[in-house]
Amino acid sequence: MYLIKKSDVLNIAKALSAAYQVYGPVVEKVSGQTFFEKVDDISEITLAAPIPAAPPKSVVFPQAERIMSYRYAGGNTPVEIKPDYAETPKALFGLRSCDLTGIQCLDRFFLGQEFVDDVYRHHRKKMFIVTNTCVVPFKYCFCVCTDSGPCADEGYDLNLTDIGDNFFVEAGSAQGEALCKKLNLENASEQHRSEKNACVDKSITLFEEFSTESKAWISRVMNRVTTGFAKEDVWEYVGDQCFECGACSFVCPSCSCFNIADASGGNGSCNRLRTWDSCSYEGYSRMAGGHNPRKPVEDRRNKRFFCKLSYSQSKKYLRPGCVGCGRCNWVCPGDIGLPNVVKYIRRETTSR
Amino acid sequence: MNQKPGVCTFCGTGCGHFMNVAGSTVERVFPSLNHPVSQGRLCVRGWNIHELLNTAQTINRPFIKKDGRLSEASYDAAVSLLVERLRGISPAAIGFLASPRSTNEEQFLLMKLARAVFKTNNISLASEAGHRGSLNVLHGGTGMAGMLGSIQEICQAEFILVAGSDITKQNPIIGSEIHKAAQAGAKVVTIDSRRTQMAKLSTTFLHITPGALKLAVAALAKYIFQEGLIDADFIKTATKGFDAFSAVLGKLSESEISARTGIARDEFKAVAEALSRSRTAMVFFSSGISGLDEDTIGYLYNLLAMTGKIGKPGCGVNPVAGLNNLQGGYDMGCAPDLLSGFQPLADQAAVKKFSGAWGVELNTAAGAPIYDLLSKSPSSLKALVVVDHDEGFIRAAEALGKLEFVAYIGAYQNRFMDHADVVLPVGRYIEADGTFTNTDRRVQLAPKKAEPAHAVLPGWKLYTLIAEKAGVKWNYGSPSDIMDEVARLTPAYAGISYKKLASAFGIQWPCNEKHPDGTAHFDIAMAGGSITFARVSGTFDMPETSADFPYRLMIGKAQDFWHKNNLMRKTFIPMREYNATLLDYPEGYVEIAPETAKALQVRNQWQVKVVSPYGELPLAVKISEDVKSDTAYAPYFAQDMIAPLLAGHPEIVQKGEDATIPIRIEKV
Repeated sequence: MYLIKKSDVLNIAKALSAAYQVYGPVVEKVSGQTFFEKVDDISEITLAAPIPAAPPKSVVFPQAERIMSYRYAGGNTPVEIKPDYAETPKALFGLRSCDLTGIQCLDRFFLGQEFVDDVYRHHRKKMFIVTNTCVVPFKYCFCVCTDSGPCADEGYDLNLTDIGDNFFVEAGSAQGEALCKKLNLENASEQHRSEKNACVDKSITLFEEFSTESKAWISRVMNRVTTGFAKEDVWEYVGDQCFECGACSFVCPSCSCFNIADASGGNGSCNRLRTWDSCSYEGYSRMAGGHNPRKPVEDRRNKRFFCKLSYSQSKKYLRPGCVGCGRCNWVCPGDIGLPNVVKYIRRETTSR
Repeated sequence: MNQKPGVCTFCGTGCGHFMNVAGSTVERVFPSLNHPVSQGRLCVRGWNIHELLNTAQTINRPFIKKDGRLSEASYDAAVSLLVERLRGISPAAIGFLASPRSTNEEQFLLMKLARAVFKTNNISLASEAGHRGSLNVLHGGTGMAGMLGSIQEICQAEFILVAGSDITKQNPIIGSEIHKAAQAGAKVVTIDSRRTQMAKLSTTFLHITPGALKLAVAALAKYIFQEGLIDADFIKTATKGFDAFSAVLGKLSESEISARTGIARDEFKAVAEALSRSRTAMVFFSSGISGLDEDTIGYLYNLLAMTGKIGKPGCGVNPVAGLNNLQGGYDMGCAPDLLSGFQPLADQAAVKKFSGAWGVELNTAAGAPIYDLLSKSPSSLKALVVVDHDEGFIRAAEALGKLEFVAYIGAYQNRFMDHADVVLPVGRYIEADGTFTNTDRRVQLAPKKAEPAHAVLPGWKLYTLIAEKAGVKWNYGSPSDIMDEVARLTPAYAGISYKKLASAFGIQWPCNEKHPDGTAHFDIAMAGGSITFARVSGTFDMPETSADFPYRLMIGKAQDFWHKNNLMRKTFIPMREYNATLLDYPEGYVEIAPETAKALQVRNQWQVKVVSPYGELPLAVKISEDVKSDTAYAPYFAQDMIAPLLAGHPEIVQKGEDATIPIRIEKV
């Protein structure tokens, strides 16, 4: 437990930039939109910026990434194949707890099962994570319904909480502890810890007032989805509103589905790309030969919600697949962001 | 921070996005959350635009055809050859086919190149007549050649009519905005011959007989007139020409309406009442590649004029352009008879203004649209310069083969190159500053985001080089200078500059001294206090079915346009999604209702023979609840195959989404 003055908090990022490529929340000036971005100038970071528009998922799982390259000159020449992807130590500075939870879900998918994904592992190893407690929730947030905020409780190296003039700093790992020592941070007292806890408690009470766009009774709906008590008509109502754009998957901190494509560069050279994919796309579940087990759009839509809200899936993540960031509600051209679908299932909504 | 703002370049909605760019590669795309049009939304195309921008299938150097094969050349040699060949041909025999995808600056310079340097008025956009029909109706009635309402005001409309447009597929984010209005309580009515997604999301769906759209719109107008639901004050004080329109309506027989549209009188009446009682109303219809014909658009415009739903916030007659800069193409004067901003070439004052500014005497002899010229046999056209063409439209291949000279200008490889004597590459959209004008007249700046991947010129520099080789020196330091010239010569763009555009999300024209921040919606004052009703034909020809040809075949375009799109084919995910139906039905399909399938005793993907009075073709069956039992639907991508069905009747396809042929279906 340490303290750092508010005016000094970016010193942590500065110190990290010596050994890591730092990523942090940056506000684009004309639009006012927050991005969680690679930063070369630490002063660009706005720690108090609203939750970033896109989750930092792209740092560990980019929208499009070369995972291998090959070259074949034709005839009897051998094919040259090499794994070909980047390995840079990365520090995520000012991550929100929902987004950390998202990365933990991705870890369990890419690293926690029978096969370990080497490309993902390269992004993830040598990573330093500094989380930032949301002392005020944002319009679309509902992490209190998904047990993923407003304050991170594991998985970080350092956790920062704005307690007034200072940030309360908790170290969650040995490398976090070491950095605090290196920076000579002032020790915090139990008094400071109770101040931090009060800030978190207050944040939770503010959801009622601030988070007006999203609320989701997750536990209730998980029960219904798992036991098959979600009505067919409700899925149809949801499916009719799906524009098949893929946005919900792309902005979801925990969505991990991808497509593999070979991008030819001419002269026999080729990059194998891994790109984001979405279960809302018809081509996603289409099999060789043309059969598609999930051809109707409502079948594809309910797949998404089974993935986020059923017990069987949650066993893989050790938690619900939804982390309560509310981004799918921002970007959905229909009206079927996850919190809305939860509402439709609970109220058995089948028409306007 | 490496997030560069831009405008999606697929459809005419004009959604805002941000891109991470590393060198010449786009790493990722993200929607612009505070963008007034898209508000954080993108469709499947927009979310995957980086796949197109990163494709290796770009044109990376100029080519000249030698001995029937394209061989690499320098810009200097290729442009010199272009100029030399065009110089040897009389201006009346030279044509320029502009692209509805180019930036405004490129459109304007191409128009200037055609008229001021090569002295021809044969310039048109590669998008058929649809959008021109919309602009003719709106300009004729109100003086404003663009959408009368605004996408941002959709949420203010209490009543929204979607007429014959598969809008959630073609312009998904406009469809989304209409859906959100419906969720918030607006009454949304879809009139279509096929159950589209918008139909499912509407409060009321009028599932009409194919080919009856115009009659259905006229029927609504008739019941509004007959039941005294017109806005009499508005008609009296702010319009001209209502009597001629109401006379046409008086001649419509009620029994004929119901019999031919398949919609009962009470259904029409309920919609007529809802439209009339609402305080604000909008109508949306496709414009451009799948546009309606001018007469139908006239009825739609009149419908809103007679109910007083023009010239107020939350109101408007709103054509929806299918391509990103179709509106901008017309604004920049890429039409035989128009200078920029819909100023007619026949207007001597306008010609004098342009001649003065450009220091040349403009040729005022009327030009003609390129497709009209190509379809004549023998064609008077001898040389053609084509910009950025979608290969789905290569149906004039035979006519192209007869030309003395063809030049192709574009960023992406395309089958059109095979027809070209000279190929000149231009940069991808991210390689230069440029503006686009979306379907609601919003002029948006997309700043340069990447260095050229190859030594390729941006379009504006290429056109400047062509002019220079032809002996005319243009002094543009940047695209911003070109927009300044557009502003000086175009009243609707008078107040627009790069400086103003850089600090906001675009400006809706007209932008001038009176409206320095642009104009969200048409106002009656802009037309001097009075608008004019469109003149309509009063005829409703519909192909009739008979015992021999009992089904009405619709030829859909909107959704399937993207299937054959040259750009989609250079991506991974959009190609997969748009070609999914093509994979199932590589030879095309005919969609029929389950009852029809039962009657014919066929199943999904079985082969049938479709026979029209003009010809026949084999297609696979796709069974769907979205068509009625006496109708069938064939998508546009099968047009090559549909041609035999239409032998000698190209005018049927000209009817856009309302194109219909009577057929019979035979089990093979």
